[in-house]
Amino acid sequence: MKLFRRFRGPRLGTKIMLLGLTLLMVPWFSYRQLVEMERLLIQGQSNAQLLTAKGISTLFNGREDLFNDLPVTIEDFESLYAHPLQNAVRLDGRVEDWGEGIIERALSFGSDSGAQDGDFQLLLGERAGQLYVYMNVIDRALVYRSTEHLRLDNADHVRLRYIRTDGEDGRVSLTLSEPGVITAYEMDEDWRFAEVGVPSNAVQGFMEPTEQGFSLEFRMPLSMLGSSRYFGLAFVDVDDPATRSIRRITQTLPTAGKESFNLVILRSPAVLNIIQGLGYSGARILVIDPQKRVRAETGSNTAPPPVDDSSATMELVQKWFTAMRPRVHKLITGEPWEPRRSLTRNAEATAEAVISSSLRGDPLALRRSLSAQQEVIMAAHPIVSRDKVIGTVVLEQNINEILSFQRAALEQVILVSIVSLFAVFIALLAFAARLAWRIRSLRREASGAIDEYGRLRIHELQSEMKAGDEIGDLARSVSNMLSKLHQHNNFLESMPRTLRHEINNPLNTLSTSLQNLAEENPEIRDSKYLESAKRGVMRIGIIVQNLADAANLEESLEAEELEVIDIAKLLENYVANCRITHKNCEFIYRGPDAPVYANVSDYRIEQLLDKIIDNAIDFHRTNSPIKVQLDVYRDQLQITVANRGPTLPEKAEKSLFDSMVSHRGPQNRLHFGLGLYVVRVIADHHGGFVRAVNLADGSGVAIMVQLPMAQPGEDPATTNGRDATVGAISRSRLPP
Amino acid sequence: MAKTIAIVEDDPDQRANYADAITKKGYQVSAYGSREEALAGFNEALPDLVILDIILGEEVDAGFQLCRDVLARAPSLPVIFLTERINEIDKISGLRLGAWDYLPKPISLDYLAERISSLLRINEVRAEQDGARVSPTAKRIGELMLDQDALLASWKSHRIDLSGTEFRMLAKLVRVPGHAVSYETLMNATMQSLVTNNTINTHMRNIRKKFEKVDKDFAAIKSEYGYGYRWSAES
Repeated sequence: MKLFRRFRGPRLGTKIMLLGLTLLMVPWFSYRQLVEMERLLIQGQSNAQLLTAKGISTLFNGREDLFNDLPVTIEDFESLYAHPLQNAVRLDGRVEDWGEGIIERALSFGSDSGAQDGDFQLLLGERAGQLYVYMNVIDRALVYRSTEHLRLDNADHVRLRYIRTDGEDGRVSLTLSEPGVITAYEMDEDWRFAEVGVPSNAVQGFMEPTEQGFSLEFRMPLSMLGSSRYFGLAFVDVDDPATRSIRRITQTLPTAGKESFNLVILRSPAVLNIIQGLGYSGARILVIDPQKRVRAETGSNTAPPPVDDSSATMELVQKWFTAMRPRVHKLITGEPWEPRRSLTRNAEATAEAVISSSLRGDPLALRRSLSAQQEVIMAAHPIVSRDKVIGTVVLEQNINEILSFQRAALEQVILVSIVSLFAVFIALLAFAARLAWRIRSLRREASGAIDEYGRLRIHELQSEMKAGDEIGDLARSVSNMLSKLHQHNNFLESMPRTLRHEINNPLNTLSTSLQNLAEENPEIRDSKYLESAKRGVMRIGIIVQNLADAANLEESLEAEELEVIDIAKLLENYVANCRITHKNCEFIYRGPDAPVYANVSDYRIEQLLDKIIDNAIDFHRTNSPIKVQLDVYRDQLQITVANRGPTLPEKAEKSLFDSMVSHRGPQNRLHFGLGLYVVRVIADHHGGFVRAVNLADGSGVAIMVQLPMAQPGEDPATTNGRDATVGAISRSRLPP
Repeated sequence: MAKTIAIVEDDPDQRANYADAITKKGYQVSAYGSREEALAGFNEALPDLVILDIILGEEVDAGFQLCRDVLARAPSLPVIFLTERINEIDKISGLRLGAWDYLPKPISLDYLAERISSLLRINEVRAEQDGARVSPTAKRIGELMLDQDALLASWKSHRIDLSGTEFRMLAKLVRVPGHAVSYETLMNATMQSLVTNNTINTHMRNIRKKFEKVDKDFAAIKSEYGYGYRWSAES
């Protein structure tokens, strides 16, 4: 409670530190700004992409012809869609490297169950001008080609039919001699013999047996197909290795045996031509038809990985930053941080959503991530023809640049913030500590400059005098005040002396003149006027003398020698003498029988007692005794002089012992309030203090002087017996 | 032939008052207003007694210098300081220079005249006694020997150098040994017009110190707190 009551407010240091905390706003704002900036940049990018997509789509608006070049409506044609392949494909009979989930888009041919011998699944892909074909064939009895037979149709093989660039039919047979690399031959019309003896290099492939048959992967240049890209495939199943007769032919061609082909649907060259020039770095433009087939593609959406030029420290910082980012984000924005991984999971769905929305007629732009490092914005705008959506333009732009810019900026902001925050904090701390220390030392010195009675101890300050700031100004102004006060004090203190000095001379003149006057004129010697004049001179002399004595008191006390004497004896003696000198007063003394030793100047104590007793006599009620009492409290002795009479006014108790303060009223002209001032100065000089209190019953006033008692080690007076020896008072010495 | 008293005092009124009063007592007075005047006068003829003010005009220590000069020429010449400078330190310096007495202003002219006559007489007595160790006029109180005429005191045969005021106070104190002497009585003995208890205490302390210088066990002067002092030689 006490502590709480003393608390007036935070200290300077605490205040400055609290103010320093506002600096935390800087990183907070920065982060919010950056997040907002990122949002804006991505928003802007999305809008820009949508606009670009719109612009590109307008190129296609109304151009149904471009999309109708595919005879999708002709029943005879079964279109085979060649998926654009992102990655390079290794010819190894496995589909895994074609891309995730692409196998699900494979088309099945053969029986409805798809589990019969000769059934196969087909997947077409396109990359870098090559047509890739993957076949998964079910054939529980694999018959490899025997080199003994020249005919190529007496073993399991795949037939490839297409229309060449010159418009003629092309026939290529893929023969399987053994698991592994396959051999392709251009065939005669009956598919029996190779047209030329050497295998065709254009078609390359690889076959691998599986549990149920085999898988085959091959590629051929798209240029073989000519512009119409008609293309058909058939698996020819031979089951009996002895007879080697063809048991079944499963083909992609219509079964009617018509000379018709499947159509390999690829990106439309015409469309591609249009968008070819529009591609730019980091952007991929796709044109997709309502069947969600990619009709044209240009550009790449992958950006070069950011150059890692950061040092080890930066790396550490980045790592730490990456680890801290979700927490920081949550702390600052209050929203959970969405790591990219979750975006990746939804990447396909996002793409689907964008394309579907666009095909429904609503342009849309969304973020999606390709991988942990790659993120794109996907914008799609429908292509319209006669109020019908005939396709969509998809524009994918890599936003890694934006994101890495944001991340770098973020890292920098956070780093700079932390460093500067720390530095500012340290600086503030040091500044506050220094400031507080300076103010404290100034306060200590300033408050020490004046003692409890308002006397000046020093007349100028030492600390902070040279400081150029406001504290220095304060110190100088306080010091200035002190020195002015000191001057004034000096003037006041020296005034009684000067006064005495200046008054004594004319007083002497006056006094000697009066004496000479009386000498010269004997008849006036008994004149009452001469007498009153002499009394007046005497009185002035006493006043001046008293003033000067009081003014010199402290100085002369310094020259005083202290000795250990028995205060009890002194008091007893003193009170006994008081009874003689003040016959009309009654004195009562009460004190301990044992000696009470104190290290004092005896006649200063006498002087002190004189003043207190004078005071008591002046104020005591006639016929009431003046009580003098000596008490001992541990290491302090207390002299109490109490008298019955008027009590002290409330405000007098403090100022009573000040110089030139008298509460006697105007009828006592000879008193200047010096008496109790002298008491105080003497008590102070002996390391004690004095106070005046009204008696508890309000019947009078007690003045108490407390003095420290002599330590046991101090030597009691041994040299002279000023502690009266005659009469009842015997000489007192400490027992040896 | 009348004795010559030199008065050095810068205030003309006081100087005239002193001169008038002393002349009336039958002395020849030469009064000087400044140190230079006084020195010039002393060069012509040395007076029998010198009364000095300390501050002369602008020179605050002129009296002390004069005292030094004049005592250098005549070491036995009685010098009285009569000054408004009554600080303890001034008093001590004055007496230390060899002055016989140190009187603060304001002064009673009667007392001054008495002083002068007593000092002159003492000087004569001392001159006559020259060599004789114990004067026939001396009074003996225990170990204390007081020669009222020569203003000489000795304790256990050691000479105690007391100023005129101190001597008179001591004489008053020992008049009836064992009896307390009040402050008031002692004040009268100082033959000064303005005396406080404090003045008496200061004098007594000085006297005590002078005794202690020759006898460190000296304890014959007892304080009678609140009343005065008492001489009590037997301990």
